[in-house]
Amino acid sequence: MNQFSVLLQIAFRNLFANFLNIVIGAIVFIGTLLFVVGSSLLNNMEGAMSKSIIGSVAGNIQVYSDKSKDELSLFGSFGAPDIADIPDFSKIKSALMNIENIKSVIPMGVNNAQVAYGNTLDVALEKLRKTVNQKNKGDHSDALRRTMESYKSHIRQIVSVIQGDLRNLSALAKLQPSDKENMATLKKAASEQFWNSFDADPLGHLEFLENKIAYLLPDSDFYNIGYVGTDIDSFKNNFDRMEIVEGQMVPSGQRGMLLSKFVYEHQFKLKTAHRLDEIKEAMENKHSAIARDPNLQFLIKQNKTQTREIILQLDPVSTAKMRKALQIYLPSAEKDLAILLPLFLDVNDKNFIDRYNFFYSTIAPMIELYRLRPGDAITIKAYTKSGFIESVNIKVYGTFQFKGLEKSGLAGGLSLMDLMSFRDLYGFLTPEKLAEAKHLEKAAGVKIIDRDKAEEELFGGAWDSAVSTGSQTDIDEKKELGMIRKKDSSVNRAYTQSEIDDGVVINAAIILKDPSKIKETMKQIKTVSDKNQLDLRVVTWQKAAGMIGQFVLVAKVILYLVVFIIFVVALVIINNAVMMATLQRVQEIGTMRAIGAGRSFVLAMILVETVLLGLTFGIAGTAAGSLIIKVLGHNGIPAMNEFLYFFFSGPRLYPALGVGSIVWSMVIIFIVTIVSALYPAIIATRVSPITAMQSEE
Amino acid sequence: MKKNILTTIILFASFLQIPVYAETLTKEKMVSILKGIDMRIRSSGDYKSLVYIEQREKGKPDLVREALVYRRDVDQKLMILFTKPRTESGKGYLRIDKNLWFYDPTVGKWERRTDRERIGGTDSRRQDFDQSNLAEEYDPEFIGEEKLGNYNVWVLKLAAKPGVDVAYPVVKYWIDKATGNYLKSQDFALSGRLMRTSYNPKWQKLFSESKKADLWYAQEIRIYDEIDKGNSTLILIKSVDLQELPQNIFTKAWLESKSR
Repeated sequence: MNQFSVLLQIAFRNLFANFLNIVIGAIVFIGTLLFVVGSSLLNNMEGAMSKSIIGSVAGNIQVYSDKSKDELSLFGSFGAPDIADIPDFSKIKSALMNIENIKSVIPMGVNNAQVAYGNTLDVALEKLRKTVNQKNKGDHSDALRRTMESYKSHIRQIVSVIQGDLRNLSALAKLQPSDKENMATLKKAASEQFWNSFDADPLGHLEFLENKIAYLLPDSDFYNIGYVGTDIDSFKNNFDRMEIVEGQMVPSGQRGMLLSKFVYEHQFKLKTAHRLDEIKEAMENKHSAIARDPNLQFLIKQNKTQTREIILQLDPVSTAKMRKALQIYLPSAEKDLAILLPLFLDVNDKNFIDRYNFFYSTIAPMIELYRLRPGDAITIKAYTKSGFIESVNIKVYGTFQFKGLEKSGLAGGLSLMDLMSFRDLYGFLTPEKLAEAKHLEKAAGVKIIDRDKAEEELFGGAWDSAVSTGSQTDIDEKKELGMIRKKDSSVNRAYTQSEIDDGVVINAAIILKDPSKIKETMKQIKTVSDKNQLDLRVVTWQKAAGMIGQFVLVAKVILYLVVFIIFVVALVIINNAVMMATLQRVQEIGTMRAIGAGRSFVLAMILVETVLLGLTFGIAGTAAGSLIIKVLGHNGIPAMNEFLYFFFSGPRLYPALGVGSIVWSMVIIFIVTIVSALYPAIIATRVSPITAMQSEE
Repeated sequence: MKKNILTTIILFASFLQIPVYAETLTKEKMVSILKGIDMRIRSSGDYKSLVYIEQREKGKPDLVREALVYRRDVDQKLMILFTKPRTESGKGYLRIDKNLWFYDPTVGKWERRTDRERIGGTDSRRQDFDQSNLAEEYDPEFIGEEKLGNYNVWVLKLAAKPGVDVAYPVVKYWIDKATGNYLKSQDFALSGRLMRTSYNPKWQKLFSESKKADLWYAQEIRIYDEIDKGNSTLILIKSVDLQELPQNIFTKAWLESKSR
């Protein structure tokens, strides 16, 4: 004990005796600080991200068919992964629910769909066509007549806007023959005579507008929607961060869709309004200024040049109303709305909030802010498993978001669709469908010709075999058309739980009662799958998340690599420094040996000195790192973009100091210092008193 | 000596790949050939056919369709109405002027499509079912003469005229010198990438009363996808009917009425 106290005294005395010790200390300090801060941040981020992934779509475990060629990637991957289907979800649900730790099994299928709206005139004409069909079916009500007149005046307004565009074009460039032809067609469509004769032949007039005019307007909207087909009730009950923002839940068992609020705002909102929202968000939350921020200036430029989406929505009455409102607000005597709107949208830091408020209070009520509203039905289409496009009409009941992940594009990238509609779009080939295709193929008696042999087989025969004389055939149209399916109104009913469960799904999320037992439960699932021949592949939430799930792992590998390099450098430097220090102290060591100090004492002295040096600066580094984490934990690290929002599981990450980080940093320091000092210490033990005295002379 | 000179010329010509006795077609001759193709395929009256379409893709079950194709070439109108299988029946395409509409009775909606549309999810395009407008839509360039199997063919490269909307901006045609029918065609993207190769090995002619001449149609078209190798489409014309069609047949209302 006495000896150790002496060693400590010597070590403390030599702690700052050498400049090299300060250099070593600084490296150790930086290394430990980086390790403590980095590992604490990444551990906290991993915890937060797991909450985002588990709580938004993945659950604790995901299962999918083991026949799949690719791996499941819930948040997207390069290309379209080839995931085989699970033909009957009810089978796996009943088998897996016998495992004690499983709370629930939620059916799923991730897919992409397209929603295509025609251009503004196509949409307006479609509405008018519907009212014409209603009238032709016998509806002669005043309400319908008023609606028709309103649609007609809107269409006339759009026609006049297109006419204006062509006139502007003719002022700038020489018109092509086709433009002149279009001018004449537009003149006809805008004439009083055309509209006066509309009611006499509404369908003929509609065909004229649809085929001769509408294609001139190039403003079609096309939306891509990623969705999860699922049992929406079960989803809501198990992913408790999910909340309805607008509208309502899809009624139990009904077909329907919930749009992600994020998608709804980013895709379906009027672009001018969305850009105004973005500017406001940047000014309020990021303290950006229009005068300084080129991104905001670009948004304003887009708003000023893209006012047609507002103008095309207006009928003559709304146009006059909006013009008057803007003339008073700006104020301006300008009569052309196409000039007034850019003037109004040319905002700066000073007038932005006032104009933003005016937009929402006065302009927005005159137009449709969103392409669709909760309660509307949309037609969505998706590529089926077989490669062709299938469409369904589906009612959008509302929008939803995950609490704390409102601004995350990753968590908010997927909308929800009922399982029955999902199966329609997935295009699962039933045995009946396959049999029908086989029958048609057989009846056609087609010879399959390989691509490489096509020319030889097709053109290798007699030179005149390519021509023959056909015969006029009376095609029995009624027989052929008899197969045409009528609209099936029975699809819009409530489905029973067994109807929802009995059918094809792509994957299933599993929620555990005790998530800490995930490994044991995965083993149990595999056993149940093998026993019941379910052919399931079982993956953790992290694996199911694909590249996103691996992000923190990659970040950790990079951190540990950096820390490893720092400590390898430290090890080499410490080794050299201690070696030099030892050589400088040969006389001191020799004297100590001469007055009775043993080899073990010298060895211990060098080691204790080095370990003390490492620990002193290591503790300082750990303390500084802990302090940084403490401050960050108090203030939070803001999520500067939507990806960080997902990784932080909210707008800020509040990191907490992990005991593991501190313990590991101390262990690393201890090992590094011992290893690096061992060789110089052994060298020091070999110093003999006589040699030491002689070297002095 | 003379023999040696001749041999040298032939060798030199073959080295430069110049056909020694090849006939080079003039622009006028090429346009006349294209007009000939257009005129043979074009009908002055109405046209109706029953077609079988089959799409083969690697690792997927075959996609099989049957459809009625209606044409009124003088008005540039076309309708493809799917009749089989049951899940596809009632779906259809309607081409009027520059518009190609798609109708799906299950959703009761019309959608605008382009000439690049994969008809019924196959490798076929609208052009494969429609009348031919090669002379109006393309400028020809003579590539050379070739042997396609046992057939002597001219090879023409056609580039779309400015402002004309076609599925492929560049196409190559292998035209049978004996009959004037094209037996092979290749479609290219603007970048020059080969997209599809099609073979028309069987042509049929049918006397048309309204035309007072033969109407020609490719009875079999085999399309090979050059991007997704292994994918192919087969179109078979099972029967043709040249009787007059109802006047209002090329309207949205008519197609809608078939599946109400």
